[in-house]
Amino acid sequence: MIKKLSALLLAGALTFSLAACGSSDSADPGGPAKGDKKVIKILHWKQDNINKAIEEINKKFEEKYPEYTVEYTTTGPDDEYKQAQRARITANDVDVLADLSGMRLSPQEWTPGAKVPDWQQWIDTGLIADLSDQAFIKNYNANDIEKAGTYNDKVYAVPTGKVAMSGLFYNKEIFEQNGLSVPKTWSEFIKLNDDLKAKGITPIVVAGKDVWPLKLPVFALQAKILGGGDQQKWIEGVWKGETAYNDEEAIEVLEKMKTLQDNYMIDGFMGIDYATAPSYFATGKAAMLADGSWDAPTVAAANPELKFGYFPLPATEDAAKNASFVGKYDVTWYAAEKGPNKEGALKWLEFFSEPENYTTFVKAAGFIPTQDNIQTESDFIDNELTPYLGEFELAYEIMMINRQNIGEHLAAEGVHTEFLAPGGPYKTAKELADIQQKEWEAAAPK
Amino acid sequence: MKWICEVREMYPFGKGFNRFIPLLLLLIPMALYIVFYFGPSILTVIYSFTDVKNLPGSTYQFVGLDNYRELFFSGNSGERWRSIVNTLIFMFVVTIVQNGVALFIAVIINQRLKGDYFYRAVFFLPVVLGVAVVALIWGMMFDPLNGPVNRLYDALFGYQDMFFGSFTHAFGYIIFVQIWMYMGYSMLIFLAGLQSVPKDLYEAGHIDGTNKWQSFRHITFPLIAPSFTVNMLLSIIGAMSTFDIILATTDGRFNTRTMAYDVYKETFRGSLEMGLPSALSVIQFLIILLFVVVAVRQTRKREVEY
Repeated sequence: MIKKLSALLLAGALTFSLAACGSSDSADPGGPAKGDKKVIKILHWKQDNINKAIEEINKKFEEKYPEYTVEYTTTGPDDEYKQAQRARITANDVDVLADLSGMRLSPQEWTPGAKVPDWQQWIDTGLIADLSDQAFIKNYNANDIEKAGTYNDKVYAVPTGKVAMSGLFYNKEIFEQNGLSVPKTWSEFIKLNDDLKAKGITPIVVAGKDVWPLKLPVFALQAKILGGGDQQKWIEGVWKGETAYNDEEAIEVLEKMKTLQDNYMIDGFMGIDYATAPSYFATGKAAMLADGSWDAPTVAAANPELKFGYFPLPATEDAAKNASFVGKYDVTWYAAEKGPNKEGALKWLEFFSEPENYTTFVKAAGFIPTQDNIQTESDFIDNELTPYLGEFELAYEIMMINRQNIGEHLAAEGVHTEFLAPGGPYKTAKELADIQQKEWEAAAPK
Repeated sequence: MKWICEVREMYPFGKGFNRFIPLLLLLIPMALYIVFYFGPSILTVIYSFTDVKNLPGSTYQFVGLDNYRELFFSGNSGERWRSIVNTLIFMFVVTIVQNGVALFIAVIINQRLKGDYFYRAVFFLPVVLGVAVVALIWGMMFDPLNGPVNRLYDALFGYQDMFFGSFTHAFGYIIFVQIWMYMGYSMLIFLAGLQSVPKDLYEAGHIDGTNKWQSFRHITFPLIAPSFTVNMLLSIIGAMSTFDIILATTDGRFNTRTMAYDVYKETFRGSLEMGLPSALSVIQFLIILLFVVVAVRQTRKREVEY
């Protein structure tokens, strides 16, 4: 009898617990509330200097609007962030989310079969809020909003700043001591490298172990050489079969990078990781560092005494053409349409976009501002970057739209010069270029 | 009273409703298993024939073998095949070397030499460290610029290596680290097996005049065959599904991708489409299954009863 009873009880408990599963959510009051306050959920990746600035802005926001609480979550960068982003936006569990270099890789009519990127799918499925009619959008430079915040004639994103990628940090002291000046053309640049080498100074350090930093100098070469300096034309051409990865210009890009890798980069650069590369430069082990402008604070922190500048890698013999940076938009905000607190998200973006708060942010981030008339009070931005911002162009990585299932020598919107000898398996630029063109053709939509 | 026992034997759980109690109790783990393990596995197989996306509210359609075609007959299929080849190399080398070394060390430790507990702990330590720590340790050891291993190479052979940054050597170093990391685990299983071998068998062998090799070959080895089976299976499955150490050392660069790494990459870093990674998982599962079945059949033959 006792057995029977316990069995019944057990069966009852089972069905009950199953039933409980179905209704566990109903206890939630529904609205986003923490006490009496409305919560705004912001998702971002970890990047110390930027995180601190946002936290500061959040504090001010909460003081001004006491009815809100900001829940600012940061995850590890890159993949970890991408996963968090996907999980949270699809679960409608975020109000404001950051993206890196927003609004890129959207398929065009000349890119048959190209993959639709995440952000575009989110917009298409109605997960992202339309910001076109928000007054704060007008605080930003219309050109930047057009380039990095607009999709289908509607504004969906706020690009918060630009970074230069195609430059080289240089040690001013080493340059002065050796009577060297910033090179304006490719041959001047090569001569500079030879001069440094002749004096026993390693010219360039780059973080080859992470592979992507090798793309940075290549961006300069691509933007100035491909399509005779019209990269967009070349990229469209490669889709249409008018240009090719093994055409003269593309090979020149690889050839020039090979020259640098073979002769002027620090021994064993394929073993240097991104975190330690700036310290090689900051401690004078190399005269130049191939890195993005965002790393200036890291360089300064590695050696506060160091006097350094930043110049665009001169890709061609045309000094005027060389004298501008290639780069990308960095942190880009989206507001979630179906998040728990869309109204709060818009309020926060409005507050963020107020020139005063925006200045706090852009100064901490070290970005080139996308709002006009912002005083960054940064020597680096004003004296090193601004002179070369006239013809700011987007990098190959941002403009290129890859074919689906593209081979590894072209994957991730790069041309992967790590595959070149001595480290890689290809002896000449032509060999790598031919493989790339073969892979490009193999990936053509069938 | 005898009949009660008979009834008990016929109905070990009683009669009537009582008979269902074991089934009811089994329902709990079964439900958990189906919801969290079996169900998703079956869904993966189904998804591999669809264009399902990681987006709520998005619909999906059956696309037949499209995902499989994309895997093996598209622009980057050469890399997929290389991943499969890499996986097989990884599996064979890891299984053979790891178990060989582990068995050797286990036999030595089992000689009851002084401080065997200490050695056991030392060899097992890497298992406890975890992948991130191991990758960090070996990343430092294999630092091409100032690392101790490169200095050793330089002093001994006048040669320097790029280690995890070398297209030709990186994969070999990853295999080495994997073996270094999990050897202790296999060793422990062998040790447990060795300690269960009855001593009188060796004594009997001794009387019959066996030497050390003969007693290992004809007494020890057949009797620890079950541990051998377990270790084989664990290292085959483990090696085939390893992606963490690759992720932490080279991140798949320099020709070090395996199938498991590709599955991870396509799922979490690729597009929102889940059909392709599902298809990749199915292929991976089939290959693992094939090798496990073959390995079990082969090793089971060697096991003896005692």
